Amino acid sequence: MDADKIKSALADITAEQDPTIKSLKMASLCSALWTERGVELVVVGGSAIEILTEGAYASGDLDMCHATKASLPIRERQEVMGLLGAKGGPRNWQVAGMYVDVLGFAESFARTPYRRVQAPYGEVLVMKPEDLLVERVLVSVYPGENQTARDCAKKFIAVIICGDIAVNWDEVRRLAKLPEYRNLPECEKLVKEVADELKVKSPLHPD
Amino acid sequence: MNSKSKVPCIPIEGSISYEDWLKGRRHRREIGNLVAPEIIRRKTSSSDRRLKKLFNGERGLPFTPTEKL
Repeated sequence: MDADKIKSALADITAEQDPTIKSLKMASLCSALWTERGVELVVVGGSAIEILTEGAYASGDLDMCHATKASLPIRERQEVMGLLGAKGGPRNWQVAGMYVDVLGFAESFARTPYRRVQAPYGEVLVMKPEDLLVERVLVSVYPGENQTARDCAKKFIAVIICGDIAVNWDEVRRLAKLPEYRNLPECEKLVKEVADELKVKSPLHPD
Repeated sequence: MNSKSKVPCIPIEGSISYEDWLKGRRHRREIGNLVAPEIIRRKTSSSDRRLKKLFNGERGLPFTPTEKL
């Protein structure tokens, strides 16, 4: 990506006042620059949930991880983010009126692919909703009840049940049985609760 | 397009275009609002100091109202 295109993208992102679009555009720009250097990034956590659900959940920072084992050396990370006029580093930066965190390797257990959004500056990989859903249900219950995580999980489930995000429910069930989560009963219960509220059959019903 | 929904679905395979992602925003927000409060952004987190400094005491930019999505 040449300097003029980066400059124009930064002006666009800086001026953007919708937090979710701003986040997606920034993810798009960062992903393009890192991909040019052989490293794929994926949006994770609350930022990923926001892109998938519009749940009005995320804060003003964008969390990304490496989608592959490859990473950029610290020096190169600083140089890349320097192209964007970023401040800080080497894992989090302030840039274009928001924060960008690039953490380690993405933690994912699902066998489904990362979801892909064609954003203005290039494709954005988004964490698999199967992972995000099981994880959010876990956080809603452990280490103690967490109402915000519960609301977030409910919105996520509702958007999936209504068909706006495609998920593999067999994969959700498999993940929830893994030693990493062990929360299938909690997942079944919350999915059923949302399905009942929406007056549809639960896709995660035990039978 | 999903059979249950009138808006474009974020698919498992392939990708969703930016235009289709934009088109689905309002519907996704409206569905979520059926089962939980409209704004559920956490009140606090370990990033509060830097976020509130950047966003004038808030933890991020205000969300676009549903009717404007």
